[in-house]
Amino acid sequence: MAATIIIGYGNPDRQDDGAAWHILAGLAKRLGQKVPRWPEEVFDLSGENTDLLFTLQLTPELADTISHYERVCFVDAHTGSVPQDLNITALQPHFQTSPFTHHMTPETCLMLVDSIYHARPASLLVSVRGYQFGFSHDLSEKTQVLVNQAIETILAWLG
Amino acid sequence: MVAQKITIEPVTRIEGHAKVTIHMKEDGNVEHAYFHVNEFRGFEKFCEGRMVFEMPLITPRICGICPVSHHLAAAKAADEVMGTPPPRPAVLLRDLMHMGQVIQSHGMHFFELAGPDLILGFDTDPAIRNVVGLIQANAELTLKAVNLRKFGQQIIEFVSGRRIHPTFAVPGGVNKALSAEDRGKIQAGIDEAIKTTQIGLSIMKDWAEKNRADIERFAVLKSGYFGLVTPNNGLELYDGNIRLVDQEGKQLECFDGRNYLDYIAEHVEPWSYLKFPYYKKLGWPQGVYRVGPLGRLNASDRIETPLAQEEMKLWKSLNGGKPVENTLYYHLARLIETLFAIERVAALLDDPDILSTDILNTRTDFKGEGVGVIEAPRGTLFHHYWANDKGQLTRVNLIVATGHNNWAMSEAVDSVAKTYINGKPVTEGLLNRVEAAIRAHDPCLSCSTHAVGQMPLEIEFYDPQGSLIRTLSRNIA
Repeated sequence: MAATIIIGYGNPDRQDDGAAWHILAGLAKRLGQKVPRWPEEVFDLSGENTDLLFTLQLTPELADTISHYERVCFVDAHTGSVPQDLNITALQPHFQTSPFTHHMTPETCLMLVDSIYHARPASLLVSVRGYQFGFSHDLSEKTQVLVNQAIETILAWLG
Repeated sequence: MVAQKITIEPVTRIEGHAKVTIHMKEDGNVEHAYFHVNEFRGFEKFCEGRMVFEMPLITPRICGICPVSHHLAAAKAADEVMGTPPPRPAVLLRDLMHMGQVIQSHGMHFFELAGPDLILGFDTDPAIRNVVGLIQANAELTLKAVNLRKFGQQIIEFVSGRRIHPTFAVPGGVNKALSAEDRGKIQAGIDEAIKTTQIGLSIMKDWAEKNRADIERFAVLKSGYFGLVTPNNGLELYDGNIRLVDQEGKQLECFDGRNYLDYIAEHVEPWSYLKFPYYKKLGWPQGVYRVGPLGRLNASDRIETPLAQEEMKLWKSLNGGKPVENTLYYHLARLIETLFAIERVAALLDDPDILSTDILNTRTDFKGEGVGVIEAPRGTLFHHYWANDKGQLTRVNLIVATGHNNWAMSEAVDSVAKTYINGKPVTEGLLNRVEAAIRAHDPCLSCSTHAVGQMPLEIEFYDPQGSLIRTLSRNIA
C-alpha cells in the first residue's frame, strides 16, 4: 500500500465545485497513473507511493481507509468565504458539527481516524476558490488556473 | 420585553438552504416559529427535454445523501414510461441496493447525528456533544456504528459496481448481475450489522425510559401517516401501494402510487419555497400527514421479518395501538427500519433468483407517462415523468420526503420553541432542541454542492419595527 493518499471531494456536475476531481486527474497524469475519463471511474488504489481517491462527500467509513496511510491530503473547492484563492492548511483532528446534514469535514474525518483507529497521519487541505457553480463539467477559467497551481503544490508536498 | 424575531440560519450550501425564525411576544414567550426551506432550484425544469432513459443517471445528482433513492425512483418511473416491467431478479437486485442505502443512511443518522443528543444529552456542552463525546463514552460502539454504515455502502457498491453516480438501474431492469462471491461478502456482514442495530435499539429504549418527560412534551403532533405497504399492510420500502391512515390509525386510503395526484395536493405558504403536501379529501390543514420512519411504522400494521416484527409489537404498544405521535420516536422508528432492512438483505440474498442473469426486459410498450414511487430513508419519493413519442421528457414532477414532512418540521419547530423558550434566556441547549426538532426528521437539505468555509448558526433578535437589536451565533462547519 502507498504511504500517501490524496482524497478529493466535491460535485463535478456543478462546475467549479468539482475542482478536486480535475486536480486529482491532473495528479494522476503527472504521477504516471491511469487517468479516469470521468468521475464515476475510480482511480487505481495501486500507486506505488501515492493513492488517489475521489468522492462526492466525506463519510465516516473513510476514516478506516485513511488510518492505513502515513499522510493524507484532502482536496476541495471553496467559495469567497476563504480569503486565499489557493488555500493550503495543515489539519489537525477536530470535530466540527453539521447540525442537519450527513456532511463531514476533513477535520472531523481525522478526528475519527485518531479516536477510533488511533492513527494520526500527517494531514493537509488544499482547496481552490470556485467562481462558477452552474450545471457543467467545465471549470471556469479562473479556477482552472488555480487547479494547475494546486497540482504543483501537491506534487511539491509529495516530494 | 419588546416583541422580537429570532432567526436561526445555517448558510453553507450553494443549494439546500434552511433557516428558522422565531417570533417572540412582548412577554418573552414565543408567538410562532417558522421553518423555511429552499431546495431543488429548478431541477424539474432542468430535466425537461432530456431523454427518459437518462433520468436514472441524472437524478442521483440531485443529492449526495440519497442518490440511490433518486436513481431507483427514476428507473421505476422510466419502466412505466417505456412500458418495460423489469424481470423479477432485477426487482430483487434493485430492492437489495435500496436496502443498502437505507442501512447506511439510517445508521449514519442515529449514531452520528442524533446519537450525541440522545446518549450525551441535549444540554451537554456542545464541545463534547458530538461523535468525539460518543467515542469517549463508548469507543467500541462508535467503531461498530462506522462499520454499520460501511456495510450499507458496500452493499450498494457490490450490487451496482459503483461507489458514486450509479448507472445500475435502467428502464426494464438492471445492467449488472450479482456474483456469488459478492453475495458471500454481503452475507458475511449481516450478523454484525444486526448486533450493532440491536445495541442501538437498546440505547434508544433505555434513553426513552429515562427521558419520558421530554418525549411527552417534545413536538407531540397529531397528523395522518403515509407510506408504502405490502399486500398485508406490512412495512415496505421498495414497492407496493401507498397507505394513508388518520391520527387514530384508521385507514383513509390504500392506493396505487401512480394515482398520487388524485390524493395529494400541495399548499403554499408565503414564508417558504417548499410546498406543503396534504391529503386532498380532508383539505388543508386537516389533511396533513407525516412520512419517513415514524410515518411508515404508523401506516403499517406489521413488519414481515421476525426480529423487526418483535420491535414493531413494542412500537404499537407505545400509544395503546394508536399511532405514535412523539417526534423523538422518529429515532426509534429509524432503528427498527434498519433492523428490517438488514433482515430484508438476508432474505433477498437467500432468494434463488438473486444470482440470475435474467435482469433486463428489452421489450417495450411505450406509454409516455410514468410514476416511480419508493420509500427513501427520509420518506416517500415520487418521480413522475411525461414524455413525447420519442422518449423526450416534456414535464417532470418530483415530490421528495423533505417536502412531505414540511408541515411536520414546521410544527415541530413551533412546538419545541413554545415549549422550551417560555421567557427564558436563549441558550445553546435551547437552540440545539430546535435543531433537534428538525434533525429528528433527517431532512435532506444538503443538495449537490458544498464548499470549504464556516456555517454560522445565527439567532437574530428583531424589535417590532424589524430592526436588528442583538445577534447570537456560533460557527459550525
